[in-house]
Amino acid sequence: MTAVRVPAAPRPMPAMRWHLRAAARLLRLELRRNAMPWMLPVAVCLFWITAYRKAMAMPPLWSLRAASMQSGALLAFVCPVAGVAAWMGSREARRHITDLVTITARPRWARQLTTWAAATCWAMLGYLGCVAALYGVTARQAAWGGPPWWPVAVVAASLLALSALGFAAGALVPSRFTAPVAAIAAFFALALSTQLIQGSQSYWQVSPIVAAPWDIGPDTGRGVFYPYLPDLPIAQVMFLTGLTMAVLGATALPKGPGVGWLRRPAAAVTAAGLLAAGTAVALAGTGKLDAHGMIAIPAVHDAASDRPLRYTPVCSHAAIPVCLNPAYASYLPAAATALAPVLNEMAGLPGAPVRVSQTATTYRQGTGNSVSVGLAGPPISGTPPVFHLLLPDQLPGPPMTTGGLATALRSSAGPAIVASVIGDGPSASPAQQAVAAALSMSAGLPQPSLPGPVIRRRSTTVPLPASVRSAAGRFAALPSPARHAWLVRHLAALRAGQITLAQLP
Amino acid sequence: MNVEITGLTRRFGRTMAVAGVDLRAGPGVIGLLGPNGAGKTSLLRMMATAIRPTSGTLRLLGRHPGAHGPRREIRRRLGYLPQNLGYYPGFTVAEFVEYFALLKEVPAAQIPAAVAAAIERVELGGKARTKLRALSGGMLRRVGVAQAIVNQPQLLLLDEPTAGLDPEQRVAFRALLRELGQRATVVVSTHLVEDVGAACTRVALMDRGKIVFHGTPEDLTARGEGHGTGDAPLERGYSAVLAGARS
Repeated sequence: MTAVRVPAAPRPMPAMRWHLRAAARLLRLELRRNAMPWMLPVAVCLFWITAYRKAMAMPPLWSLRAASMQSGALLAFVCPVAGVAAWMGSREARRHITDLVTITARPRWARQLTTWAAATCWAMLGYLGCVAALYGVTARQAAWGGPPWWPVAVVAASLLALSALGFAAGALVPSRFTAPVAAIAAFFALALSTQLIQGSQSYWQVSPIVAAPWDIGPDTGRGVFYPYLPDLPIAQVMFLTGLTMAVLGATALPKGPGVGWLRRPAAAVTAAGLLAAGTAVALAGTGKLDAHGMIAIPAVHDAASDRPLRYTPVCSHAAIPVCLNPAYASYLPAAATALAPVLNEMAGLPGAPVRVSQTATTYRQGTGNSVSVGLAGPPISGTPPVFHLLLPDQLPGPPMTTGGLATALRSSAGPAIVASVIGDGPSASPAQQAVAAALSMSAGLPQPSLPGPVIRRRSTTVPLPASVRSAAGRFAALPSPARHAWLVRHLAALRAGQITLAQLP
Repeated sequence: MNVEITGLTRRFGRTMAVAGVDLRAGPGVIGLLGPNGAGKTSLLRMMATAIRPTSGTLRLLGRHPGAHGPRREIRRRLGYLPQNLGYYPGFTVAEFVEYFALLKEVPAAQIPAAVAAAIERVELGGKARTKLRALSGGMLRRVGVAQAIVNQPQLLLLDEPTAGLDPEQRVAFRALLRELGQRATVVVSTHLVEDVGAACTRVALMDRGKIVFHGTPEDLTARGEGHGTGDAPLERGYSAVLAGARS
């Protein structure tokens, strides 16, 4: 053995440039040998089933499809991302390589962060590809507006957090069973996170699967007449980013003595992440359902978002035109055709609307999870009078086909237009009821009925009295010009309740 | 001295794996012999900074590995081949060696050449693009050696490096050890006394956590003359020293 008294001369510390190049090479290596690409086809298939097909079945409205994409994409990616991240996190221990990598110069957190980053990059690439496909198709179909990016950001932040949680689980409990358990646990945690939502002021709304007020569900009216509110997505992104930071920071917390230099920054990152996540949960708890169907959080709310969006309506060419928001332009022919018979009957009558104009839905949070949805004011107002129309698709319920929407519109808006002109209602005179029934009859609308007794808390209706039906039949049998001429002369008296059934021609 | 160990102990629960080892070594190849459970692997793992000593002082390459900065410096200059080599089956030979070059913070610009040189030195140049899952046990062992030497270590710790190698490879590997030992301290834990005789300049014999002999292979051979049992002179020296230590 040769005695050497001089300690080995330290090599110069690699420059920052070398560090970056080395980190890039390591990331490239991890990207090339990552397990995530093998699971991406599964995630993409799930996205196609749970998000893409569902969104394509919806009207081409940006906010509607974006909200659907948010929850669908999350459910599609949660299992592959959490599972593969856990698989990668447990890789060193599963492959019995811990000793070999532990004695290398690069810190454990840097090594693990690279593996995590590679898995997350792949997941993000797959997800963004799916979003590009969905948004690309929507861009070609949508008549108006632009893509909302906040839902995209929420899912992206969710994938970061899910990946970090899965990776941490794999690193902490390195077993071949950790990956499937992490995947299943993440799925159920996400799916069940909405079960505790009560009303609009719920901390659980911070769950990334909540794309809109949970009690309402898919709603085409949201984000069309008023800007898409980013309040809840801001809280969600903040929560998820905080969660990611906390988990990654905790993963980097070193074990054993002599590594205090890393413990302090890791603890600081963890604490900052927890603080951000906690703040976001608190913010979500202060959210309220606003009048436009979105969650407004006072602390992050921008008052400018309460101003309606400017748009030039698209209108049909008729005596009483039907005007819709340009986002609904594809519905215009169907809506105009559905309402044409009743509008032709109304055209020229005193007090008849000069146009039927689509308006925004108004939302009010009731007790518990109930939400009332409807018009803010009377259906007809203004001088000259305008009939305010809500398309059936603007109300809660499953999205409709164009044909279904036309049928629903005829049976809901048609009688409402007649009633608003004739003055039909609970306190209407028999003559008003008869005229309303006659006009509905000639316009091919469902026959009006009278409110009946409440049975088992449900409102019932009863048919019109025989005398009213008889008068209605008589009036409906008149030629349209005669009916119209009579109404022009007597509508004011009819509305005032001064016409009896016997006076009807 | 690249290795300065004084009173080093390591306890696992109630078992004292290393019970007060003193060792000093400069450049050269030192063979670590001993029966199963003698504490060779535990001593190597402490020298590799994989585990911490329970007590005693450890100084490697002129630095104490207890603090982060010196430990990182040591690890940059360290090569280690564990007894059971874990590996990522999906990596190719070149990727696996490059992975460790990156983890050992070999300057990025030098990595391609360093990886190629390490692979060539273990005679796996033709298999550089082969995935590890396709290699035989002996080839995997050589990959392990390649990752250990990719950073041109000043302290190389090899635990059973020749296990699984065919005779031809073993001869070549001994030559490699001799070459590496000219400028680095190479500690080889082995059961094969032929390796010690052919490649080592010093030999340490461990039993029950202690070094019971430290000298040249010739000294060990001399201890066995007329006393020990075995087919080869070194084996006789080995058994004689062990018998003496246990009596």
